[in-house]
Amino acid sequence: MTNSAITVLLVDDDDMIRECVTAYLEDEGFSVYAYATAEQALESIAAISPVVCISDMRLPGMNGEDFIVKAHTLSPVTRYMLHTGMLYSLSDELRFIGMKDDDVMLKPIHNLSKLVENIKHIAVVGRF
Amino acid sequence: MSPKAAEKFFRSESRYRMLVENSCDIVFSLDMDGNIAYVSPAWQKILGHEPSEVIGHNFVEFVNPEDIAGIQTMVAAVIRTNSMQEATYRVNHVDGSWRWHTARVNRHRDDDGVQTIFGTAHDATERLHIEELMTQSEKMAMISGMAAGMAHEINNPLGAILQHAQNIERRVSADIPANVKAAAEVGVSLDLVHAYMQKRGIFDFIGHIRTAGIKASGIISNMLQFSRRSDAGAELVDLSAFLDKVLELAGTDYDMKKKYDFHRIELQRLYADNLPPVLLVVAGMEQVLLNIIKNAAQALTGGELPHQPRITVRTQVAEGMAAIEIEDNGSGMDEKTRQRIFEPFFTTKEIGVGTGLGLSVAYEIITKGHHGLIDVRSKLGRGSCFTIKLPLQGRA
Repeated sequence: MTNSAITVLLVDDDDMIRECVTAYLEDEGFSVYAYATAEQALESIAAISPVVCISDMRLPGMNGEDFIVKAHTLSPVTRYMLHTGMLYSLSDELRFIGMKDDDVMLKPIHNLSKLVENIKHIAVVGRF
Repeated sequence: MSPKAAEKFFRSESRYRMLVENSCDIVFSLDMDGNIAYVSPAWQKILGHEPSEVIGHNFVEFVNPEDIAGIQTMVAAVIRTNSMQEATYRVNHVDGSWRWHTARVNRHRDDDGVQTIFGTAHDATERLHIEELMTQSEKMAMISGMAAGMAHEINNPLGAILQHAQNIERRVSADIPANVKAAAEVGVSLDLVHAYMQKRGIFDFIGHIRTAGIKASGIISNMLQFSRRSDAGAELVDLSAFLDKVLELAGTDYDMKKKYDFHRIELQRLYADNLPPVLLVVAGMEQVLLNIIKNAAQALTGGELPHQPRITVRTQVAEGMAAIEIEDNGSGMDEKTRQRIFEPFFTTKEIGVGTGLGLSVAYEIITKGHHGLIDVRSKLGRGSCFTIKLPLQGRA
């Protein structure tokens, strides 16, 4: 799968993080949609049906965990990743929808090529 | 006094004597110069001295020099206010150690005008020790909450610094078609831009930003570990074998070999042979012990020691806990340092040598991760001894 075929939806309330991750992923050829809140992302996710969705954990309204559970019902084909500044172990619900420990990336990501690698990996690997 | 009254008096006198002599607290009387006229048998039970070593001696001979002023203030207050006063001070045990005592004293004047200081004293060492541990644990809980919040807040801007630096590097690369296109639009050659940045060391600067960011992120990640409360992944471990492994690990550590000449330090292993297996989070406990051993090695490195540098690792079972002691005969530390040693960012090392997080992380791993205790005693110039106590199975 080429990068341009991979649509990525990014949720992070930090403007700078959204900006730098988007810039990097776009340079890599991905199509990126970025949102500052879970609520905004939920409005669009079904229509976009991204291949990969990366969400922050601590968001102003709904948190990342609840967001993914809800987003999964709207866009079940999407693979989900968490990008968080807190040490976090996956909840049973997130494991149930197929997330694995590797899908949690700790902030700050030192080299975004690691994120690209993970995106490409989960975009091609079937999980169910 | 009538015979009946005299008999009554002697009966009550003997009752009081019995009370005094059976009291767990020390009962004592001093003359107005502080010379000891009487001590109850509890003195010998608590402090070990024979009565002959005590009677007739001045009370302050037994008191830690730092606490004498406090006692004099108390006695002065007794005389001035004619009321009961209290003081806490260290008193010498016959084994040479200091015990904390709390005494309550008052003045008595008999019919002939002779004045005496009467008092009772009890051993408060254990209580003060527990209070110190509790204050420590409250302080650490507060700091740990702050550390977690701070770490989280810093991770986002740190991510932005690291990743934007990376984006700058990439946006001048000719490998990305969008760069080539944008450069052509503004009429510059990407190769020349690249060459200019190279010549002016700009790529090095960007590299330094990233290196510094990664270093900061290492500190933050330690802080998050410090605030982590988890006993996930605990397993039953044979402590002796585990300690041997940690000592072996310490011997292969780069810093230990290069900076602290670990091989010249004598390692003494005094393991109890009746130790039941202990529940450990192996990775966490390794980190704690390596940190303590590293500190010990460091204390054995600065300056010339008059004796063979030695680290003693001791284990024993006491009060339903497994105790690990790591003792060095190095430079030791003063009391102020000792009290702050587990605080995050507290370091006595030069700037850049230590982050001051090692022992605070150790503290959290032991108290939160293992429901254990960690404590240190130290004497300046004599060495330090860290004690870790871990609950044994079924008694936690």
